[in-house]
Formats: sequence, structure tokens, C-alpha cells
Amino acid sequence: MELENYKKTWKNQPEETNKVSKVDIYRMAHSKSSSVVKWIFIIGILELIFWTGLSFMVPDNYMDIYKEYNIMGFLKIYTLLHYVVIFLFLILFYKNYTSISITDSTKRLMNKILRVRKTVKYYVYYNLAGFVITNIIISVVFLSKPNTLAKVINPEGLNTDINSLLSGFLISTIAVVPIAFLILWLFYKVTYGKLLKKLNNNYKELDNLEALH
Amino acid sequence: MQKELESKFLTDFEQHQNIVHKICRLYTSNQDAHNDLFQEVAIQLWKNYSKFRGDSKFSTWMYRVALNAAISLYRKSTRTVKTQDISALIYKIESKDYDDTEELQLKALYKAIQQLNDIDKALIFLYLEDKPYKEIADTLGISNVNARVKMNRAKEKLKKVLNP
Repeated sequence: MELENYKKTWKNQPEETNKVSKVDIYRMAHSKSSSVVKWIFIIGILELIFWTGLSFMVPDNYMDIYKEYNIMGFLKIYTLLHYVVIFLFLILFYKNYTSISITDSTKRLMNKILRVRKTVKYYVYYNLAGFVITNIIISVVFLSKPNTLAKVINPEGLNTDINSLLSGFLISTIAVVPIAFLILWLFYKVTYGKLLKKLNNNYKELDNLEALH
Repeated sequence: MQKELESKFLTDFEQHQNIVHKICRLYTSNQDAHNDLFQEVAIQLWKNYSKFRGDSKFSTWMYRVALNAAISLYRKSTRTVKTQDISALIYKIESKDYDDTEELQLKALYKAIQQLNDIDKALIFLYLEDKPYKEIADTLGISNVNARVKMNRAKEKLKKVLNP
């Protein structure tokens, strides 16, 4: 049979049975939820790689102070637990990503968006709170043994007043931790915050669509 | 203004959606992939709609954007079509008021086109849609002469697949 004859067959083919409505088209054209959720997962992984990489770059003698205080065991357990929690979050991110689908009903999609937001929020809270709490714990531990701290800060045993050494440590901790916290917070605001905002807009659009029905 | 534009877009798209469905059938091998591609096309069309000035027909512009989306998506993914079970390839081309022989012919045609590469698929698709060479060239962004040459080759390949 000549190709030309297939044109008729082609032309006569039945129309698509699963016609898509205007509302569906609107939803498809606007809904980038799934790609936003994918990025949340990817950034989560990149963040993990970044922090892990950074921890390898810390010079060995940085750990001396922890050895001096005999808290290496505690730190190791804490790090392990931290990684477990992060992995659990990443699994949740991944599950969010795979479960979100454009063929969901509007209501279901909205519920999933809410779930994604919740997961990300808890993830950020966990990281920020973890940062503050560990810093407070470590500072308290350090200050609990002023002599050890003085030895570590001033290994050469220069003739300085121990009280001014300790207050110096306290002041610099109080100054540095909030700044570091702010940087961390800003980082989350720029990455996840931006993605969540996109999701939010999406949610609002879906909400408007629901109202149309 | 935006609302007006949007509503026109939705009406046009809804009316011409069959074009996109046909492209999805050619470039995908199951309903999920079909839906994915359809959505991708919807996103691309809406994203570019503000640039569509109406100097061509909506449907003509739709052919271009949809085929581009299909081709680029197809390039990104591993070529799943070839490893699929052939019986799964032609899904849902069934209709009661459609002649049996024609149905078989159509299935054979889809099966054959699906074995072509992404560009040849687009060429044959536009040929079957009875588009003039000028439009085919414009849609695929190639010269008129090039379109003819490529089309002849694609047709030859298709003939070989249809009548081995």
C-alpha cells in the first residue's frame, strides 16, 4: 500500500477518548508542583553533600579541644543520629516527590502540597534548632571546666587573667553563634523558602480553581 | 488582560488538543508517559503563549511547540519505546464506529512510525497531517529543500518498516 493511502486512515482515526478539560489544561500549564518538589529533594541531597564535604575539610587539631574535654564519644553519637535524621528527611522528600502527580485531583494535589510544606518546615526547624542547641551544650560544657578551656585557648601558658580569657570566649561565642545562625537561616530562606513560595502560589491557584467548580 | 489571554488560550488548546494527543501517541508508549508529555506540552505552550502573536494559526504554532517538546523530551529520556512490548505500544486506538481494516491499518501505521527516530517521526506526522512543505519546514526549523530531502528519506524508511 502506498503511503499516500495511509493519509486517509490517519485522517479517519478516532478522536482521543480521554479529552482534557479547560480546567485540566489550566492545571497542567500552571502546575509545576512536581518540579518544585523535585528540587526540594535535590537541594536536600546537595546540602548533605556540602556539609559532609565541609566536615572533612576541618583540620584535625580543631578536634583537640573536644578530646581534651572527653566528649568525642558524645560528638560521634550525635553526628550519627544527625545523619540518620537527615536521611529520614531525604526519604520523606523523595517520597513527596514520587507521590506528587499531575493526574491527581485538585484536592489531593493540595493536600500533598501541604504535606510537602510541613516536611520542609520541620526539616528547617530541625536544622536550625539543632544548630542552636548543640552550640549551647558545647559552650556550657566548655565553660564548666574553665581551667581546661584556658589551657586550650592559651596553650603557651601566657600570663593572662583566666577570667578575661573566659569572658573573651563567652563574648565571641555570643557574637558568632547568632551571626552563623542568621547565615544558616538566610540560606534556608533563599533555597527552600523560595521553593515553598512557588508551591504556595500553586496552592493558591489550585484553590481558585476549586472555587470555580 | 491576562485573564482574557488565558481564557483564549484555554479555549484554543481545548479545541485543538487532538493534535497533542496524536503526538503523544507517537512519542510515548503508555498512558503515564502520554500524560507526562501532554503536560509538558501544556507547560511549554502556556510559557510561550505570550510570544505567539497570531501571525500564524494557533494550530500551526501548536504543532511546532508540541513537536519540539516531544523531541527534546524524547532525547532526554532513554529510548524506552524500542524496549517496550509491541502490543503495549498501541494503546487505546479502539472505537466502535471505526472500520476494522482501517483500525488494523492504523495500528500498523503507528507501530511503524514508532520505530522511526524522533525527527523522522515528526516529518511523517506532519506528512500524514497533510501539511505543505513550507509549513513542515517552518515547524521543524529547517529549509524547504532540506525538508523535502529529509521527508523522502523518512518516507523510504517508513515504507521499509511497513513492507519489509
